[in-house]
Amino acid sequence: MKKVCLLLREKQLFLASNSLKISLWALCVTFFSMVSFHGNAQTVVTGIVKDATGIPLHQVNIVVKNSNAGTTTDANGQYRISKVGLSDTLVFSLVGFLSREVGVSGRQSIDVVLQKDVKMMNDVVIVGYGSQKKVNLTGAVDQVGSEYFENRPVPNIGRAMEGVIPNLNINYTSGRPTAAPAWNVRGLTSIGAGGEALILIDGVSADPRTLNPEDVASITVLKDAASAAIYGSRGAFGVILITTKNAGKAKPRVTFNSSYSFNQPINKPDVVTDGYTWAKLYKETYGGWYDYSQTPSSIGSSGLPFSDSYLDSLKYRSEHPGALPSITVNPVNGNYVYYGSTDWYNELYKKNIPSIENSISVSGGTDKVDYMLSGKMYKQEGIFNLRSDQYNKYDFRAKGGVQVTDWLKINGGTVFSSYDYTDPFRFNIWQVLNIFGNGTPLAMMYNPDGTMTQTFANSAGALTGGNKVISKQTFQQNNANFAATFLNKTLNIKGDVSYWITNSSTDDKVVPLSYSVKPGVISTTTTNQLAKTLGNYKYLSYNLYSDYSRTFGKHYFKALVGDNFEQVRYEQLAVSRDNLLIPDLNDFNLTVGDNKNISGGGYEWANNGLFGRLNYSFADKYLLEANGRWDGSSKFPESKMFGFFPSVSVGWRISEESFLKDKTSWLNELKFRGSYGSLGNSQISPYLYLEQLRANTSPVIIDGTRPAYINSPSALAGNFTWETITTLNGGMDFGLFMSRLRGSVDIYNRKSYDMVTPGPSLPAVFGTAVPRGNYADLETKGFEVSLNWNDRIRLKKPLSYSVRVTLADNVSYITKYNNPGDLINYEPYTFVTNYYVGQRVGDIWGYTTEGLFTSQDDIAKHADQSAIQVSGGNKLLPGDVKFKDLNGDGKVNKGKNTLADHGDWSVIGNSRPRYTYSFTTDFDWNNFSLTAFFQGVGKRDWYFNTTEFWGQYDVWYSVIPKHTLENNWSLNGGDPNSYWPRYRAPLVYGERELQPQTKYLQNVSYLRLKNISLGYSIPKKIISKAGIDNLQFYVSAQNIWTTSPLYKITKNIDVESLDYDGGARYNNNNYPTLKTVTVGARLTF
Amino acid sequence: MKKYSIAIFATALTFCACKKNLEKNPLDTLTPTQAFATEQNLQLYVNSFYQMVPSAQAVYGESGVIQGYYLHGNVLSDLTIWDQKNTYLHGGFTSKDAQGWSWGDLRNINYFLEHYNQANIPVERKNHYAGIARFFRAWFYYDKVNMFGDVPWYGKVLNSDDPDLYKGRDPRTLVMDSVLADINFACANISAVKSSSASTISKWTALALKSRICLYEGTYRKYHTELNLTSTASTWLENAANAAKEVMNSGQYTIYNTNSPAKDYRALFTSQNPIASEVILARVYNDGSKIYHNATGFFSNFGKYQPSFVKRFINAYLKIDGSRFTDVPGYDTIQFQNEVLNRDARLAQTIRTPGYKRSDGTVAPPYLAAAAVSGYQILKFSLDDPKLDLAGISYNSIPVIRYAEVLLNYAEAKAELGTFTNDDWNQTIALLRKRAGITDVSMPTTLDPYMQANFYSNVTSIPLMEIRRERDIELAAEGFRYTDLKRWKEGKLLEKEKDGIYVPQEGQLLDLNSDGKPDVAFVTTVPANPVSGVYYFKINNGIAKLSQGTKGKLIYQLNLTPSYPDYKYYAPLPYSELLLNKNLVQNPGWDHP
Repeated sequence: MKKVCLLLREKQLFLASNSLKISLWALCVTFFSMVSFHGNAQTVVTGIVKDATGIPLHQVNIVVKNSNAGTTTDANGQYRISKVGLSDTLVFSLVGFLSREVGVSGRQSIDVVLQKDVKMMNDVVIVGYGSQKKVNLTGAVDQVGSEYFENRPVPNIGRAMEGVIPNLNINYTSGRPTAAPAWNVRGLTSIGAGGEALILIDGVSADPRTLNPEDVASITVLKDAASAAIYGSRGAFGVILITTKNAGKAKPRVTFNSSYSFNQPINKPDVVTDGYTWAKLYKETYGGWYDYSQTPSSIGSSGLPFSDSYLDSLKYRSEHPGALPSITVNPVNGNYVYYGSTDWYNELYKKNIPSIENSISVSGGTDKVDYMLSGKMYKQEGIFNLRSDQYNKYDFRAKGGVQVTDWLKINGGTVFSSYDYTDPFRFNIWQVLNIFGNGTPLAMMYNPDGTMTQTFANSAGALTGGNKVISKQTFQQNNANFAATFLNKTLNIKGDVSYWITNSSTDDKVVPLSYSVKPGVISTTTTNQLAKTLGNYKYLSYNLYSDYSRTFGKHYFKALVGDNFEQVRYEQLAVSRDNLLIPDLNDFNLTVGDNKNISGGGYEWANNGLFGRLNYSFADKYLLEANGRWDGSSKFPESKMFGFFPSVSVGWRISEESFLKDKTSWLNELKFRGSYGSLGNSQISPYLYLEQLRANTSPVIIDGTRPAYINSPSALAGNFTWETITTLNGGMDFGLFMSRLRGSVDIYNRKSYDMVTPGPSLPAVFGTAVPRGNYADLETKGFEVSLNWNDRIRLKKPLSYSVRVTLADNVSYITKYNNPGDLINYEPYTFVTNYYVGQRVGDIWGYTTEGLFTSQDDIAKHADQSAIQVSGGNKLLPGDVKFKDLNGDGKVNKGKNTLADHGDWSVIGNSRPRYTYSFTTDFDWNNFSLTAFFQGVGKRDWYFNTTEFWGQYDVWYSVIPKHTLENNWSLNGGDPNSYWPRYRAPLVYGERELQPQTKYLQNVSYLRLKNISLGYSIPKKIISKAGIDNLQFYVSAQNIWTTSPLYKITKNIDVESLDYDGGARYNNNNYPTLKTVTVGARLTF
Repeated sequence: MKKYSIAIFATALTFCACKKNLEKNPLDTLTPTQAFATEQNLQLYVNSFYQMVPSAQAVYGESGVIQGYYLHGNVLSDLTIWDQKNTYLHGGFTSKDAQGWSWGDLRNINYFLEHYNQANIPVERKNHYAGIARFFRAWFYYDKVNMFGDVPWYGKVLNSDDPDLYKGRDPRTLVMDSVLADINFACANISAVKSSSASTISKWTALALKSRICLYEGTYRKYHTELNLTSTASTWLENAANAAKEVMNSGQYTIYNTNSPAKDYRALFTSQNPIASEVILARVYNDGSKIYHNATGFFSNFGKYQPSFVKRFINAYLKIDGSRFTDVPGYDTIQFQNEVLNRDARLAQTIRTPGYKRSDGTVAPPYLAAAAVSGYQILKFSLDDPKLDLAGISYNSIPVIRYAEVLLNYAEAKAELGTFTNDDWNQTIALLRKRAGITDVSMPTTLDPYMQANFYSNVTSIPLMEIRRERDIELAAEGFRYTDLKRWKEGKLLEKEKDGIYVPQEGQLLDLNSDGKPDVAFVTTVPANPVSGVYYFKINNGIAKLSQGTKGKLIYQLNLTPSYPDYKYYAPLPYSELLLNKNLVQNPGWDHP
């Protein structure tokens, strides 16, 4: 199996990089072949490869059997291969076609016709501990090749994988280059322990961020329990198998790839920057809360004063630009007074940031030895303006193998990956600007004498000066493995050992900043500290497994047994000390403060599993697979340490039945599949079953020091055990119209039992947090569809193209939870609803909005909605939101906040994404290639709770996004059809006016062009003289176009960066996701 | 053949899944066996109890750690004005606002007491640590009883399935007897080596706390006759007196007196290192260690929630010669800047008076704008550096148990027992008055009619009345007042009118600190051309008025009606707890499910 798989990868590698043989070669064929022929017993062979319809085939791989010589056809199907022995055999192969071997027999010209492989018999899919012909798969497995990762300069593989495979959900909530996404397969996993998909790179668990996307040969996702079962408890929520490119048997090949990108924030907050406008609105929204009886006396707690006379001076300045200075001095207290119109986003963020990527790979191989080396350097300038952040990443990967004997091959590999990221600012800038009113345009950065203002020093001023956080990570991995075959290749034994270390460090320096509140008086901020955190993560794993396969007539058996062991040890050291003598330096020898802290920390865990798999097929029609894993984990008490988790799957290739086979020309392949299995989830904290006493530093000074202390351990739940996840999956694979159309459909039902969640509430006399135990169940249902269309159009120069469409969906319900009275409440800031039995996860409870009140009379006639606060005195006025009295009891309220009695409250939407889809198109014509990849979410609701959306409706002194002023009741003369209500605040909280409701619920479905790239390969006749095999130039763009219903309301928000699991959080304005345009070149010789 | 043996060997290896590989113990935490093995570990564990020592915030009242915000001793006090509605007093407080029903500290103590015996060390060392644990358990339950009356007694760690989680409350007598047993064990077994930093528990700390607890229980049983425990009061009072006397006889502590009456008293509250000759236990704050509180910010110009004293209480401060201020004719119409002159030296160390300067030399009159609404602005715990006004970086250590309190406990217990002598007076009250610069410290011979009329109408004993005055003044703003009112059953005092400084005429510019510049004027409307630097205090607006219309004492909080019916002596149990445990019965008078 592995062999087949290697061959496949080899082909892909060739296809990817060795695209050009130029007709110049053909013109010279005669001359060269003459020379060769007279030189020795070798010859030059030329020819054209065509398909059955006579269309020349591009990129057909041609190798001389049992040697390392080889070439590929050019766009006209022509090839030329030198140094071919007169009795050698040439092997012609191309994905989608049946390979052909042709004896040279002294010929110098060999034209070949390749037949289409309509059944795709050689289409091989990587599965757990092996590979499987796609036609024989019985589980829910999806796979994509390297085409998704080449020529796409991205900081890491996760960015390239977003949306590619249906129901593989990769969610980023920040554009920071170090951001680690959550990898999820098939929706909500567990509301208890949680759990992500297991990611294996070449069979070894590893952080995908350490992988150079260019090295990827294929990515496979094992979605159902049956296909993931062999990985046991860590694969409970799906497995992602990433294989890297292998050299195989090929001539030495060197590829350079270099690209330069321009990056821009995907969304930039469009906010009010005029000081007077901001101040007017600030007074309006503040006054609104106090029913227009008060004027604020300061701007938040920023230290900036506010008064009516100040507003008047702002007005005068706005009407007479330039007449008065924007900074004056208050005669009474001598303090500066600011009349700014600061555009903070312009000041703090760059408009364009560049990034550079260079990579090189060298590969080759013979019968006995093969090797592959790859290196990459990626640099991204940061987005902050005053002092830029900076991201550098270096990847190196090497692997090679030796065929020791005819039955034993030994391989080894090493991976090194490192990044460093320097962040001049430790906080979330959007938050810092919104907290305390620091982001008001009235505030200014510098005083006339060049000193910092207090507001700036207390907020974004840390972007200047010596503050920085430097995060570094190095990842080193060594692998060794062997593969031995016996009994005429029916028995294979394989083993591998892998060890990796991730060393991470964070240097965090806070130095005092000087600022001035009055001329001539300089103050400094007080914090002055150096801190360092070191982390060391060690991972060891080994696998040893063997398989045996045998065919008896129409019966085919294959059995696999194996052992898997892995262990992790993490250790941490954190030190800090205050009073750094020289702000520019970073050494603890220069810190002399009394306040110092050293802390450690760490954990260990190990998994050990015995697994087995049995495949049986009859006549290639009836397929059966059974898996079992006896799994042990150190994370459970001894009595619960081991669990057995079985699964079974079946398949029926109905297209092989005599009543269909060869009866219908349009149907090539049709298979039905079904699987059922259960898996334990060990993705929990390591020591949940143990009483642990922890030492800490006391906050209380005793005898002059802060001593260490230990205290009582957390309480434990009895009978702590595994979460169990069962999946029932049904699927269908088909190939139609000469396999030009191929597709898969899967539906599934996944149940998570005994999820580790908080137990029932206990009386407070218990004295500690209620222990978490196995108290909740969840059910997720979903489906996924993928369709591929591949074809070539017969033109003068043939056009080949493909289209891939995917669609996925899932919904989750809580089927068991500790909520005896079915109480429904939400967290007042995030509006995240608690769980109750029967809940569809993500449901948003809210009121139904009727409109805005038009008059006092309208208010008087309407149902009593005093349960909803609109102001400090709760005085309803025209322009306030009118809620529907759904149950007609004359009161708008939430009843008893229970499922049985929820008053006028109802489920108005759901925040989980539905119907995620993508389509990818590829065109190849005359050395040009064009790829476009769109991705979207078909249905999703969102209720925002933050200033990015609400501006001053949320916080008086917030930054004002301009969209909140469009169609605003208070600003457009009280039009009752206005979108935004009476301008007052703070109302986006708890039981206040702008709590979740139908009117302000947003439809955040979207469609995004995630990638479009155009490539052109220089014709070989031009470059061959320089000894170049292939030279390709490309332009690609990421995230450049998006459409969403939300964008009718606001374009300030990136619709893809909404927090996936946490409810209504949105954080992307701090470090926005980037859109990127790249130009690059790829050179192979 | 070789390759087949390799095959067989490898296949065999496949089946060696070992349990041993899966035994992974925590790397950075201790198991219960390890945690109680040595004396050092016992010391480490008892260090955790010190977080129960009331924080600065809990003492001065910014937020209550033990007692909760509304129920704090400086807020729920008849001696102070708090410029907010206090729902406990003014209405609206329900069992859903209940505070203080938290039990984490008890679990921590009981866990220790269930395990400390594992240590292989001499029994008297073990008992020392057990004594500290029981010291804190006594304190814990004393606080609970003080707040709720009857509470359930738990002497063990509860498991999540323990039926005792759902038991009802135990009677006060059972709980307080257990408290006494705990504190007696503490007194008998904790080391007698006094803490030189006033930050660790010794035998003397335990005795001092015992005097506090026993005085509380003795007076509570004596005055709360409805409990039918009056006959047991004297035993508790004797215990209180004896414990205090043992501290007094030990010679470990003295009243801090350097013969600088204008400074000695306040030094106790503003020193970074506790003055360990008097302070028995302090919560220590320190600039170098960056352990801070915010008392300066809280009591200085910018706070909104801090209490200030009422005039009725300020009047109780004696004159410097030992005579009563309220015996001065027309004492009630003397302006602020004059009335505070020649008084008990503790007055100028408790509130801002003329002559008070910040460390940068600026003069600082009482600030009436948002705080100090009575004019009697507290400065007892605040430092003079104005830099600390806005930043929460005050670093003065806060006394929690002082020798002065022990003397007052002794005197009061003796007086309640009727055995108070002139000798007792000289050993207690006289020492405190001497430190305060009072020239005649002899025991008065007449009952103060002002005190009787305005404070303790049913006290007829001259020494008892003077002892209570002394306690009110010496321990002012240290968080004792609400507990004192409860144990004396004087809750009705909370319904008294809140009065402030005397205002000779509406609209008149007043110079409170005698620096020649006016500071405040009491007006109905702010004039069109306000005088720079003057705060215009609005009266006749439904909240404040002058007692005689256009002049007189400032009367504040006219819009609020304090009410303290007897049921409020016990705080409500939380609503949610009554739902969870049907055996838990609400204190009468409060709402329940």
